[in-house]
Amino acid sequence: MSAVATQDQLRLGFLTAVEDADGGIVGGLLVTNRFGRPLEFQCTTPVRPNRTQQILYGPTLRPYLLTEVIGRTLLEKVGVQPHLVLTESPELLDLRLHVPMPVASLVAADADPADGVVMVLGQQRLRFHADFPQDGRDIERRKDQVPETADLKEPFERIREALSETLKMPVAKAG
Amino acid sequence: MDADERPTVISMSDSLLSADVECVATPLALSTDIYAAGLNSALQRWSRSDAQSHEMLAAPMVVGWRPPRSRVVTFGLTFPEAISFLPPPAEKTDEPNLQRLAPPQVEPESILDEVAPKKQVTRLKPPKDALSLEDRLFYLLQPPLQTWLAGQELIMPFEPFPFQYEGIAWLFSRDAALLADEMGLGKTMQTITAIRLLVRSGQVRRVLLICPKPLLPNWQREFRMWAEELPFVVVEGDTDRRKITWTMPGIPVLLANYEVLVRDFAAFGDGEFPKFDLVVLDEAQRIKNRDSLTAQTARAVPRRRSWALTGTPIENRPEELGALYEYLEVIPPRGTPDLKQLQTLAKEFILRRTKDLVMKDLPPRLDRDEILELSPEQRIAYDQAERDGVVHLNELGDQISVQHVFELVLRLKQITNWDPLTGESTKLDRLDADMEEIAASGGKAILFSQWTKCIDWLAVRMKPYGSLVYHGGVPNRQREPILKRFKEDPDSHILLMSYGTGAVGLNLQFAGYVFLYDRWWNPAVEDQAINRAHRIGCKSQVIVTRFICKDTIEERIDRVLREKRELFAAILGEGDATNRSLSMNASEIFGLFDLRARHGKGTRSIGPATPEAA
Repeated sequence: MSAVATQDQLRLGFLTAVEDADGGIVGGLLVTNRFGRPLEFQCTTPVRPNRTQQILYGPTLRPYLLTEVIGRTLLEKVGVQPHLVLTESPELLDLRLHVPMPVASLVAADADPADGVVMVLGQQRLRFHADFPQDGRDIERRKDQVPETADLKEPFERIREALSETLKMPVAKAG
Repeated sequence: MDADERPTVISMSDSLLSADVECVATPLALSTDIYAAGLNSALQRWSRSDAQSHEMLAAPMVVGWRPPRSRVVTFGLTFPEAISFLPPPAEKTDEPNLQRLAPPQVEPESILDEVAPKKQVTRLKPPKDALSLEDRLFYLLQPPLQTWLAGQELIMPFEPFPFQYEGIAWLFSRDAALLADEMGLGKTMQTITAIRLLVRSGQVRRVLLICPKPLLPNWQREFRMWAEELPFVVVEGDTDRRKITWTMPGIPVLLANYEVLVRDFAAFGDGEFPKFDLVVLDEAQRIKNRDSLTAQTARAVPRRRSWALTGTPIENRPEELGALYEYLEVIPPRGTPDLKQLQTLAKEFILRRTKDLVMKDLPPRLDRDEILELSPEQRIAYDQAERDGVVHLNELGDQISVQHVFELVLRLKQITNWDPLTGESTKLDRLDADMEEIAASGGKAILFSQWTKCIDWLAVRMKPYGSLVYHGGVPNRQREPILKRFKEDPDSHILLMSYGTGAVGLNLQFAGYVFLYDRWWNPAVEDQAINRAHRIGCKSQVIVTRFICKDTIEERIDRVLREKRELFAAILGEGDATNRSLSMNASEIFGLFDLRARHGKGTRSIGPATPEAA
């Protein structure tokens, strides 16, 4: 495949996070080609909210950190931009409000389609942000680039393992 | 009021009152005295009261808090650029309209993610000595092997067995590895796939693979099959051509044999030999003698990763192990590890699986073709015979019949078995090497040939392996004892049989290996012979090896038979191998020599009428 052709190929971004021993959140973004082979990986140092933030945000703290703080920063810093960002939970769909590319979340098979566009990609079902109906249409046009047998849940496990690995290292290089 | 002032009573006299009224004046003034004290003056003072003005607040004071935009520090890892390859050329098919019929499908149940059985997944583990975070992450972030190889990015002609996935993953992360799987378990395929993944993920750019000369065609074929998009070049030809090949940039994989390596390495100056990211030695027992030139050369090739392949149970041979460990650079030069150290090293650097260990993963019967190059003497004899034979056939003109062609074919096949003049035989060399591995592992093999003469000839040369003969020439009363001895004698490793022999009732299922020294015309007859050693459905497992000599009539016959099999499978579906019409017809036999089928007999089955009578 020539270099020009590869530029047009669909690139997927997988975003997830793990918690370290002190309650800090470490986020990771893995950008892969359409077959799931890695192109670039970005991860954060642990983000620790202070007490005020914990109290005032309450249950919205984690989605806020994952979307506005971690998600947005990772997508700004990554060199190889993905065409579609995937997350594991619908509460992170609001990331779409802060980044320019479509964001989708994996949903269970019995998800209610009324909450937003639901699409089948590989072996999983995706849901897009309800305020951005164009996202679903854009990805629909390119969805045949992802093989039907692709397991879109599996890269998240890889990222979590990689993030646990970075936590084991005493000093991580700051990018 | 003045104290002294006396109020005067003023009696009111009404002017109207005329009578005089006695008036008495009464002083009412009372004098008081105040006691003089210090605080008198103070008491006279008004208490001071200060007035402060308080503004009523219109708005309460506000403490503001805006969520701070946290600064998040990130750390990134980009994966090395992998070489992108041209897609392999599309196969040209002569009958593009035929489509493979899929076997009847079982109706799939509704797919629920949670209920689907979890497929076994082989993840790549970082090697223990990878210390930097980037290196460890590189391995952890690769997709599991099953999806990497199953996706459309890499085509695999067959799916690897689970133990092969493990072998590939093991090789992928090792700088030093000795893969010592038993013969027939697919060391070649695992090595090639691991190389392919390393090249595709940008981890290695130049690979050198060294093997014995007769096996070069085999490796070429396997590379084409298992890594079709990976370019490779064989180092061969005259000195100048070889030198250019060694130094040509941009070739991911170079193949060479041991002799060429030794010769050409010496021809390069000190330090000028090209560097490789990975060097693989096949049949690594070749360097078992540390001081041999071959071993020294292998150790001297500049490389980052060193792999070695062997089928012998090498962990039982400490003296050979030392040489290999030195090549793998896991012991210091001239180091002699003691037994305990050898065991530790073996655990870390050797991976050996045996057939019975992975039996449940393997199918009951495994077929493998060994493509061999004729030895130089055989080549000369063969080419001569073919030239003369074709001339003779053409001279026959209209007199020609299938029988004539048939005779030429038989003669040529005999030469591929061994050269009548010099006794040279690549097949024998190969058989010897394979039997060495099998005998060392305690296995037993059966060999089939169509000629009793060939069997007798082989029996002499296979004596070191306790060879036994069983064909039409063996008197009946000796047959049963021979079979008994083959089964029970631990030194008896090979039984030589002809295709025709063996009535029903032969129970040879303890033999794990079958060699087809030369092939029969009809695959069905071959299958029948093999089934004497192994019945489908029984517990034992057999590995069938077919010898095929490159650029000979054997190759052409194999191709014709294979195409027929595929054609039949496409039309009738799999499983119809017993059909007699799988053997060659007249036009195909003529076609082996580019002779036209003069008599145009069509599709009458041609071949020896019956297999050699028992």
